[in-house]
Amino acid sequence: METIKSYLENMFRNLPQTEEISRMKSELLSNMEDKYHELKSEGKAEHEAVGIVISEFGNIDELLEEMNIEIADHKETYPEVSSEEAREFIKLKRQTSFLIGIGVTLILTGVSLLVFLSQLIENQYIFQNVPLEARGSLPVIFLFLLIAPAVGLFVYSGIRLERYKYIEEGRFTLAASLRSFLSDELKDVSPRQHTGTIIGVILCVLSPLAIFVGSLFGENASVYGVSILLLMVAAAVFIFITTGTMPETYKRLLKIEEFNPERKKQNKLIGAVAGIIWPLAVCIFLFSGFVFGLWHIAWVVFPITGILFGGFCAFYSIINSN
Amino acid sequence: MISSDVIRGYNDTIILSLLLEGDSYGYEISKNIRQITDEQYIMKETTLYSAFNRLEKNGYIESYYGEETQGKRRTYFKITPSGITYYKEKCEEWDITQKVVNKFIKELNEYGNN
Repeated sequence: METIKSYLENMFRNLPQTEEISRMKSELLSNMEDKYHELKSEGKAEHEAVGIVISEFGNIDELLEEMNIEIADHKETYPEVSSEEAREFIKLKRQTSFLIGIGVTLILTGVSLLVFLSQLIENQYIFQNVPLEARGSLPVIFLFLLIAPAVGLFVYSGIRLERYKYIEEGRFTLAASLRSFLSDELKDVSPRQHTGTIIGVILCVLSPLAIFVGSLFGENASVYGVSILLLMVAAAVFIFITTGTMPETYKRLLKIEEFNPERKKQNKLIGAVAGIIWPLAVCIFLFSGFVFGLWHIAWVVFPITGILFGGFCAFYSIINSN
Repeated sequence: MISSDVIRGYNDTIILSLLLEGDSYGYEISKNIRQITDEQYIMKETTLYSAFNRLEKNGYIESYYGEETQGKRRTYFKITPSGITYYKEKCEEWDITQKVVNKFIKELNEYGNN
């Protein structure tokens, strides 16, 4: 039966994925299944039954002509990803997701440290002997000390993945058999992501508690709460990245959900907006810190950007789906 | 087995005639064709579904989802009044076609017997 499925899968591989076509495909499959089961019940051997069903399939062009569908030839020109390449890509993604997770966590930890040290300075616990003007900038040095290795990790991951750029960009095709293997494996890796998402979301939701608890001990303590909040968010983000990458990698190979060529078009705009808005947020953060010395509060720029950006993404996809 | 080129113009007629007996779904129709013709004509899957597509677009048949059996939801087809009219026209057409072609077939037989 699997042979019949992958035969049909191959026949429909290069066709546009419209509702009409997927309906036709499932109709054909159902018909072929019926025929296969009847042949088997008549006592035909597996290979014989499969052979008859496939030989009586006919010519897909006849159907396409009737349905007025033209086959897009240009898709054919992409190279096919071999099983080894796909495995190697998945392995590499697993490794780099860990590195990227660490990098992001380092940066968030740096921001947390920045808030923490700034408050310590304000409370005059540390750096008493440093001149007043320099004092405010000292915690920033720690931030950059953590950002530097993070950037190193990002660049390293990027270089490692350079070889698979064509997969990242969707310029490949996938054999039907490999596709069905990967679809099965996607089901296996998804539960880990769900657990990760739940834990991460719980951490995020609980994180503001740190501020409330801190505020019980006075205004200064609530700033330390912010520092703890950021650490909790850092942990959550690490979990999101490391558990989310595997299903994402499979979806990328299968070109489904957010990696569907249609969907990717709208993601392009979201990506472009993200490319402007986030560096801008970092600029505002650094500017208000260095120029106005607002390190203790400047970090709010990130959650605000996050919420606005999330809102924009949601709004944009609703508009588009209509 | 019959060449599909010869019979092409009458695939629709064959399907409509089976639907006159009652609503049916893809596999049942192809199985009936096979049985009625003593396996002399086996309609290919793509031929069958091209015909369904064409007949439905022309309003000669309608499709609906049947009751779920063994976890499967089949698409059933039903002949419409205009489908019946079309079927009658095709039958008349075949009658004439048959007579016309037969005239030449007979002549050829006589010629061959000599």
